[in-house]
Amino acid sequence: MEKFLDYIVKAGSLDRRVIFLVIALVVILPLFFPLGLPIRPTNSSQDVYNAVEKLKAGDKALVSFEYGPSTKPEIHPMSVALLRHLFQKDVKVYITCLWPDGQFMAMEALQQVAVNQYDKEYGVDYVLLGYRPGAEAVIKGLVSNIRKVFTVDARGNFLDDIPMMKDVNQVADFDYLFSSSAGYPGTVEWVQYAADPTGVTMSTGTTSIQVNEVMPYVQSGQIVGILGGMPGAAEYESLIGQPGIGTSGMDAQSVAHLVIVAFIIFGNISFFVERRRAKKY
Amino acid sequence: MFFKRQLPIAIAATIGFLTLFGWFVDEPVIKSFVDDDATQWFDILASFAMFLGALNLLKMQALKVVKQQKGWPYAALAIAGFMFSFTAGFILLGSYNVEISQYDDPAKVATVLAAEINLDQKSAENILIAMPEGDTYLIETPYFTKKGADKVVAEINAAGGMANMRATEWGSHISTRGSLFNWMFRFIFTPLSATMFALLAFFVASASFRAFKIRNFEATLLLISGIIIMLGRVPIGGHISAWFILYIVVLALGAGVNSYWKDRTYTLVAVVGGLLMVTIAGFIMGWPVDQPAIFYLPVLQDWIYNNPNVAGARAIMIGIGLGIFATSIRYILGIEKSYIGE
Repeated sequence: MEKFLDYIVKAGSLDRRVIFLVIALVVILPLFFPLGLPIRPTNSSQDVYNAVEKLKAGDKALVSFEYGPSTKPEIHPMSVALLRHLFQKDVKVYITCLWPDGQFMAMEALQQVAVNQYDKEYGVDYVLLGYRPGAEAVIKGLVSNIRKVFTVDARGNFLDDIPMMKDVNQVADFDYLFSSSAGYPGTVEWVQYAADPTGVTMSTGTTSIQVNEVMPYVQSGQIVGILGGMPGAAEYESLIGQPGIGTSGMDAQSVAHLVIVAFIIFGNISFFVERRRAKKY
Repeated sequence: MFFKRQLPIAIAATIGFLTLFGWFVDEPVIKSFVDDDATQWFDILASFAMFLGALNLLKMQALKVVKQQKGWPYAALAIAGFMFSFTAGFILLGSYNVEISQYDDPAKVATVLAAEINLDQKSAENILIAMPEGDTYLIETPYFTKKGADKVVAEINAAGGMANMRATEWGSHISTRGSLFNWMFRFIFTPLSATMFALLAFFVASASFRAFKIRNFEATLLLISGIIIMLGRVPIGGHISAWFILYIVVLALGAGVNSYWKDRTYTLVAVVGGLLMVTIAGFIMGWPVDQPAIFYLPVLQDWIYNNPNVAGARAIMIGIGLGIFATSIRYILGIEKSYIGE
């Protein structure tokens, strides 16, 4: 028994490279050999889906991209899934970016969904307004007058020359607002400066860690639903019936979480054995 | 002194008061200033701030290199990276397209086209044949240099076709797929940035193993809620039966009874009695995975998110709000002068 306890204490100071190796394996293996775990949509994801379902063909949705390559695995799948849902319903999509790298994320998502999948026409079905520095000031400017913030879109076309920009002058002209956000400026600023003052229905998709910060707005009804991290993306993909990167990533995330929990439990067992021995001697 | 001290304070106070009044006074001139002009000023200032930030980065890193401080090769690399992206974004256009408008012999032009768009000879020929008369065919992937595009134009013209080079408009070259800047973003910045963030998974696992210990009541609470969130948030959590959690709760209860009374009989009664009760209840209810709901991980996770978490988040938000309000008032009244270096 003592020998076994010795082994447990020794394992408590496991080399971190072993931990890294185990994590690498449990993340990589499920990507190659999917477990196919069923996805259960949460109420907050269902709320986002219902809000988009209420939109009619020709309605206008403003989607803001506030994330970069670092948080792409978490947020990009939900942006893609949301765009799929919007284009499926023939909603007109207007895209802004509060982060400079958000513009590249938006371009990639649009190429994948609007161009390759739904064959939508630029300027008629969707428009990429692009990035402007200024965070909250940009949002406030959009609420007041879009043309004072953007005179041209990301492709250099004048806003007045874009067919779908006709009669679109401020945030209040939109029927729906979605913020794909990984931090500041992002969801919180959109609620405070755009959705709340104008009363436009707003939903959001954030990183898992941001859900805590945004949840009070969801509970108060200022935000209609939230997609939280990769699980939120997977849930949305299952709701629209188009599994994507989010769904395939959930197996890896599930197993990785399980292994981290196992590490925590094992670390605690080792800690208790060591503490008991220290008390004894 | 006036220009360095009094004037900036006066400007901050005046603009601060005007902005504040914009929310409370229904005066169109003030409202227009707050909603339109002030935000535009801010946008312009933010653009300059980015410029200043870039200069500051260069200055700091250059000083590190010049003084050969610790880690100076990384600073040199940062400067090189900055210079490369600056050149790709501001100096080199890095996006030239080739457009084919006419051809005499499709087979000859297709030989050049096939090599450029990575297609076989037949497919390239079909593209040219399908091109309506008077229309043009644009090679979608742009060339980084004008020289590269000109070379292809010359090859097509030599093969009996007619092609011309078209440079992407300045500004939109950043977002043009395949341009030098775009290439840099997709193939250098994106993988580097994603790699840095992905490292977190490894460090979180290692740190949890070493530091997440049951040392006291607060740490135990944090650990249990952390485990519930981690498992309840992912699909695998939905497969862990509520009865399994209930059994763990009974065992934890036994541990509590043991540490409180330090009597083996009490502990045995608590554990065996608890296990029996759970088993009997399980047989009666038919062992549904998600019942009793309060022990089902996804439900527990939802409860933690929506109750203790929101309560904490609200308290923090109210605190931050009050802090912002107090600081803003200090700025407006000229009490806070850190922005002028005091």
